[in-house]
Amino acid sequence: MPSPSVVDPASDPEAVVCAGLVRRFGERAALDGVDLRLGRGDFVLVTGPNGAGKTTLLRVLATVLRPTAGLVAVSGHELPRAAPAARPLIGYVAHGPLTYPGLTAHENLDLYAALYGVPADRVSPALERVGLRGRGRDPVAGFSRGMAQRLALARALLHRPALLLLDEPTAGLDSDGRALLREVLAEPGRTVIVSTHEPAWFEGLATAEVRLVSGRVAA
Amino acid sequence: MSRRAFAALVRKDLLLELRGSEVVLAMAAFVVAAFVLFRFGLGGGRPAGGTRAATGMLWVAIVFTAMLGLLRTFAQEREHGIWDGLLAAPIDRSLIWLARACSTCLFLIAVQIVALPAFWLFFLQTGPAPDYGVLVAAVVLADIGIAALGSLVAGLASAGRAREVLLPVLFLPFAIPLVLGAVSATTGTISPQTSGLHTAERLGYLALYDTVFVLFGWGLFEFVVED
Repeated sequence: MPSPSVVDPASDPEAVVCAGLVRRFGERAALDGVDLRLGRGDFVLVTGPNGAGKTTLLRVLATVLRPTAGLVAVSGHELPRAAPAARPLIGYVAHGPLTYPGLTAHENLDLYAALYGVPADRVSPALERVGLRGRGRDPVAGFSRGMAQRLALARALLHRPALLLLDEPTAGLDSDGRALLREVLAEPGRTVIVSTHEPAWFEGLATAEVRLVSGRVAA
Repeated sequence: MSRRAFAALVRKDLLLELRGSEVVLAMAAFVVAAFVLFRFGLGGGRPAGGTRAATGMLWVAIVFTAMLGLLRTFAQEREHGIWDGLLAAPIDRSLIWLARACSTCLFLIAVQIVALPAFWLFFLQTGPAPDYGVLVAAVVLADIGIAALGSLVAGLASAGRAREVLLPVLFLPFAIPLVLGAVSATTGTISPQTSGLHTAERLGYLALYDTVFVLFGWGLFEFVVED
């Protein structure tokens, strides 16, 4: 698989640009000078051993973490300064489902619909899209890991993001769930970045692979 | 500010509380238990310090009760890793604080619907009737201050490891001026010696405190939740 082009720091409105991205937690650098450039519609796998910085990279791109140093831009919006403009463009599936267990699936998506300013009538089709139509009124606390993951996918797609960030999205999914995920990821017109330990599963979807080792892009 | 997002955040807190009853019932039980302890500890009836001592006990009990609730503030977000979902949303992060302060204030008011009659029953039933209008104003103003300060501090403490220790250490010192104002204002509603001007000044003081901490909360929360 080819590597995505290494960055020219002069920013342009490509889907994602990272130049010399550093993110520290105290003295430890989780990302230590990451350079990336992703065009619109690219599908990039981020691989590497545990602790390589994959999740941190996705959290920085999701605008949840501030970069300590370097340049990061999403669709030409430099982070963190222009994060408010970038956030509506980003859908983020994290390790956890980012939903409230005490609320129903429908209520959780209603909440996120309000936060993203999208019409509430998108919620039911979103649940249907991920095969949860019949479980919309059930509390998320009773969901299996796979169902919670489907709900997370519905939440991330609710506002029709141009950039989809997924952190280990296959974890906990059964074969039907994986088929659904593959179907969703195959939809054109979106830039996708997936952190995974299963790169082989994404064969046919991914256009590039970035391997992180100790917070750096491995050669 | 997105009113829809704000309403959705408050609704979420109320729904979770209605279903889980995590906070309000525990707070109500705690405050009544505190009054019972005060009553028996003081040998029954009105305390020797008079109305002011009684209202002092009321507000100390309410502040500690509020702290019990604040320990659960943002607990779901922390325990279930939901922070990332809220922080990635395209809303002003201060809106998260404002919504939480509003729901905390509503929880406090719900608790006081139980706590105030219990307080009167235990300590003041032989005294003069309070000025109910001023009493409600004083209580609501004090609740706004507790909720504004408490939600800010709870957000800060939720990022730390020693949350249970950090929260009271940060919250109580800043709550001292609020307790002083609330005690004075509440005493003014009961004590016949207190002039109307004095009560108005105390309500104004509480309103000023609220203004300061609402502005602090709105302005600082973005930095407080920054990882």
